[in-house]
Amino acid sequence: MTTSSLLRLGALALGLMAGAVLSGSALPAGMVVIPAGTYAPLLRTTKDAAQVPVAAFLLDELPVTNADFLAFVTANPKWRRSQVSGLFADSSYLEHWTGDLEPGAKAPPGAPVVRVSWFAARAYARWAGKRLPVTAEWELAAGAGYTQADGRADEALKRDLYAWLARPVPAVLADATTARPNFHGARGLHGLVWEWVDDFNTAMVTGESRGDTGLERDLFCGAGAVGAKDTTDYAAFMRGALRSSLQAKNTTTALGFRCARNLP
Amino acid sequence: MKTTALFLLLATLALGAEAPATPAADCCKEKPAAKKDACCEEKPAPKPDACCAAMEAATFSKGSIYQSEVTFTDDTGKTVALGSLRGRPVVLDLFFASCGYACPLTVTDMLAIQERLPAELRSQAVFVLVSFDTVRDTTEVLAKYRAQRGLDGQWIVLRGGDDAVRELAALLGVKYKLEADGMFSHSNVITLLNREGEIVHQRQGLKGGIDEAVTALTAARPE
Repeated sequence: MTTSSLLRLGALALGLMAGAVLSGSALPAGMVVIPAGTYAPLLRTTKDAAQVPVAAFLLDELPVTNADFLAFVTANPKWRRSQVSGLFADSSYLEHWTGDLEPGAKAPPGAPVVRVSWFAARAYARWAGKRLPVTAEWELAAGAGYTQADGRADEALKRDLYAWLARPVPAVLADATTARPNFHGARGLHGLVWEWVDDFNTAMVTGESRGDTGLERDLFCGAGAVGAKDTTDYAAFMRGALRSSLQAKNTTTALGFRCARNLP
Repeated sequence: MKTTALFLLLATLALGAEAPATPAADCCKEKPAAKKDACCEEKPAPKPDACCAAMEAATFSKGSIYQSEVTFTDDTGKTVALGSLRGRPVVLDLFFASCGYACPLTVTDMLAIQERLPAELRSQAVFVLVSFDTVRDTTEVLAKYRAQRGLDGQWIVLRGGDDAVRELAALLGVKYKLEADGMFSHSNVITLLNREGEIVHQRQGLKGGIDEAVTALTAARPE
């Protein structure tokens, strides 16, 4: 190997290293790093591990707002209220907006967008060059307290969370930035709106609760093994119940989303 | 030659493509926003490429699941868009090849439906299996599965990326979950689509319903 080719190799290596450092430090605007951790699923099968490892990832600091969603529907006419296919969103999709391109008084620009379907949330994420977080990622991020990584010991967080669960959904949602950031810097995972996750349709529950204790074995392959292990986390149960009750085209007054991305 | 390569590179960059898992027919999907704050002005519609034009030319009915732009790969490696099934009655099931309990029974029931269909309808109908197992169910595994189960030319056996499988499952109302032991828990549902790709019937569970399925598919024929 000649000296010049060695030099070139060296330069290439240096360039690669510089690139790695740069990409490591330059976070996409509006996203925070959720460090690797473990998620303890609420409902799991007898074969499942109690702890599911989750790799570090990037999560939007804030839920997607009306202003964000307006930019999306402006660029993608087929996701406007008057044009969206009934296959991808039910009839109350963006119902509280004044018009196709006017969120209006009930949907302030900085408030989380709600009444959006899973299909719409996914399409938005794709358009933004992102994706929806999966349940394990969302729950890991939301498991943090205000001042410590483990929210279970954070009394202030628990107080706010349960106070929110007890309050009816306000007619006009607050600006997302009013939410207090958690330990990782993400705001509003609790206390603003519920949020879609990419794999919401993993939750296997059928019909009413009394019928679900055994889950109908014929309806679900492997369902006989699914059961709850930890019944203390009431809020997580509510999230699980909501996810399992949803169809992908459903929209509700308190269901929004935020996006995630793999770490570079 | 070099110019072509450069053009392709530029085209890729211009689309801002983040190397989609299944490139074909991803063309019509929401392009990543070029600039976050491309606010006020109405942007001219980007020039659709041939694939996109073809997709848009095919306007599907309001209830047609073919409005979904996801694509799959069959057991010969060929890319299959859901919309390509248009015009044929479809019997569809999500499964995985290593399933030892429900899936083999469901496939047996689909074979029974095939056998009981009136001859003319049987020759038109297509039987579609789509795998949950995006990792282990390679085209080779699916080809082997086809041979093992003796699935004839009326059957299409598909695999896809996580995104595509999850979207199809959502469209069909099928729930599924990868378990720690590598198996999938999943709804047991056979879905029947009419020629437009609209859901006309779903057989839930594992028992019976063969005759109902045959009746539903027969009734879905156009006049």
